[in-house]
Amino acid sequence: MKNQITQIYQEKDKLWLILWLGGMMTLWIWDLLFLNAPAMAKVQLGFINTFIISLMVIVFSFLLSWLSGVGLYFLENFRIPVFYLIATFLLNIIRSVPQIVGILIGYIFLTVMIQNGILQNSAAIILMTAFIISIFVFLEISDLIRERISYFKQRDFYNAMLVCGIPESRIINREILWKNSLAHIFNKLISIFGMSIFLLCSIDFIVSVGLTTDVSSVNLPVTLGSLLAKIDSKQDILAIGHSLTNPGYFSRLFFEHLQGITVAILIVFTLLCIYKISNGFAKRYEL
Amino acid sequence: MTDYKFDIQIAKQNNPIVSIGDFTIPRQKITFLFGESGIGKSILSKAVYGLLDPARLNVRINDADYTDYLNQASTKLLQKNGFFVFQEPSTHLNPLIKLSAQLKEGSLSQSLDERQILRHLWETNKDGAIRKILEVYPKPHRPSGGEKQRILLAMAFKKINLLLSRKQTPQEHLFVFDEPTGSLDNNFRNLFLNLLFQKFNEFHFTSLLITHDYSIISEIYDSHPSLAKQVAFKELMKNDDQLVMQDFAPAAYLDWLKKEKAKPLSKKAASSKKTVVKIAGGFEIFGKRMVISKDGSRKEYGELTINGGEMVYLKAASGAGKTTMAKIIMGLIRCERLQLTLSNRHFVDDTPKQAWQKHIWGKKAGMIFQHADEALNLNARVKEVFGGLPINGKITDEFIREQLAELFDIEINEAFLNKKVALLSGGQKQRLNLLRTLALDTDLIIFDEPLNGLDFLSIKKVIGMIQEKQAQGKAILMISHNEEIFDAIVPPESIYYLFSN
Repeated sequence: MKNQITQIYQEKDKLWLILWLGGMMTLWIWDLLFLNAPAMAKVQLGFINTFIISLMVIVFSFLLSWLSGVGLYFLENFRIPVFYLIATFLLNIIRSVPQIVGILIGYIFLTVMIQNGILQNSAAIILMTAFIISIFVFLEISDLIRERISYFKQRDFYNAMLVCGIPESRIINREILWKNSLAHIFNKLISIFGMSIFLLCSIDFIVSVGLTTDVSSVNLPVTLGSLLAKIDSKQDILAIGHSLTNPGYFSRLFFEHLQGITVAILIVFTLLCIYKISNGFAKRYEL
Repeated sequence: MTDYKFDIQIAKQNNPIVSIGDFTIPRQKITFLFGESGIGKSILSKAVYGLLDPARLNVRINDADYTDYLNQASTKLLQKNGFFVFQEPSTHLNPLIKLSAQLKEGSLSQSLDERQILRHLWETNKDGAIRKILEVYPKPHRPSGGEKQRILLAMAFKKINLLLSRKQTPQEHLFVFDEPTGSLDNNFRNLFLNLLFQKFNEFHFTSLLITHDYSIISEIYDSHPSLAKQVAFKELMKNDDQLVMQDFAPAAYLDWLKKEKAKPLSKKAASSKKTVVKIAGGFEIFGKRMVISKDGSRKEYGELTINGGEMVYLKAASGAGKTTMAKIIMGLIRCERLQLTLSNRHFVDDTPKQAWQKHIWGKKAGMIFQHADEALNLNARVKEVFGGLPINGKITDEFIREQLAELFDIEINEAFLNKKVALLSGGQKQRLNLLRTLALDTDLIIFDEPLNGLDFLSIKKVIGMIQEKQAQGKAILMISHNEEIFDAIVPPESIYYLFSN
């Protein structure tokens, strides 16, 4: 038992995962005891939606990056270079757009689709939101995949397998990426998870003013970002500032301003833990 | 005086790495220690010499904790009076200090006779060339691996001289040479052995020499027969999963070598005389014209032809381009002025790589790369090494077991099939590396240092498999520094030399 505790303490990714889960559980129990039921329901829904969207971002980014990374590799080695040039040009256009601006543009398409009735339920909107965010974050993993392929191409095992007649697609997909790069990709996906939470919350906070006269944040699934933008949450956050000049007020924050405080803690504590988990994972696997 | 006897256990975080009940180093003898690569020769000798880090590894020697062992007076004397020549000289020379200064570091400064040692190891009477090397700060590619290795050997000899200069030679001392000839050709290797035996004749010091080079046995019996009985030959091997150190009978190697004669072509192969590979007129690479000759004196050169059922042994100085030529034949490296015919297909400088991919790789030719550690995917499992090979029929576990049984004596169970390649010993990796290509049915097989890291038993098996392939009519191109073995197996008319013109 002592050994297991020592081992977990040394493996910082596991330690911070436990701390995150412990923190979430403590917060949930506290809210269950002291947060009013309607606000509790909103916080739970916002938390679940935010995490589902971020998880879907991971899935889409993983698929897009694998497809683009491997696709670019084969296009680069294809006899006709024009396809490679076109693909690189298109990807570079995405790369050149700041992520937050790109996602805001994506929200315009999202609005149009909601207005035209193409997206009619929350599940469809969540999937589309995740896909839009993925488009502007997947290139980080795509670049990593290309770097890994390029690195292993210099090693003897790539040529040794080739001359044995093993298909190049198998060497790239299975031997290089699946067998030798999964830890690197997974570590990047952890970062992407944190990045998508941050971007989603930022964008939802920004668009809380409304997208069109017909579509506003009311039509979009509740997320931590949109919850933070609500007037009562904003007042809760302002109460933190108030408690700095009136320390006697501090204890009331955790009973009377729980909605905003909870949302803020959920975002900040989660991002901190993801950062620590990613660092710990990189250290454990010596990436 | 009793021999050094050690009971050693080495583990990392409770995972056993090496364990041996009896690791004996006879005193006042030179012990040649053979054994498969990765079996534990280096780590055991480092443990004995006190070079392992007790913070990283759990080591116990003769039931004592490693920290206690390091603090024992006998261990300190062993280090003080001895020397350890490391296997990889590049990593054990300080790049910030000139070699001349490193030759005088610590106690080496008390030994003033390095000039004679260096002259002997460089086989020269002129100091100019040596002086140039000594003024160098060692970098990865400068000086060469062989030169760095000789510098480390010179340090060891200085320490031996220091020992000899004392009025009363201390009992506790140990000189460890870990693969001291790995980067030396046979000539420089023999110069080193001559000096070692010369010093040994002056005083019988205790030395452990780790090597894979079985031809050292022949050299000792041919050039130093009087010393043959004063040296010990030992082998580290696994017996029922237990690591044991046992005597190696030099006659086993010498008799086997005598019996190995050039195998005549099988009737089928001899009658067909099908030309599998032909390189006409050499090639140009890195601005150098490379030519091939059957004449070692470089007077005449011509074309390289390998017929079905023939084994051609390609010789050249270390770093002269043998592996490069093998890779050119396989289409992995581009060169100029290439005129290559391979299995009735013609290849020139600008033949696209796809032509090799479509027609040659795995179908008409295969190549075994020299470093198994780099040629295999270390994160794959043993059975996955055979995955994707272009073989008629499905690659089943049964097929893989049959292949592995050719070179593995152990039980090929599910656990072994699922074992990560990274966890295999160096010798096991090399056998796996060989088996992957030997499982193919190709007209040409290129072997680049196939005996690297193998023990004698595996060497015999691999040679048997190569000869079997030859008898099946396969053309074989052999690149190996084990000249003694392949000079015995390959007929003189099939020996070629590669050199730059």
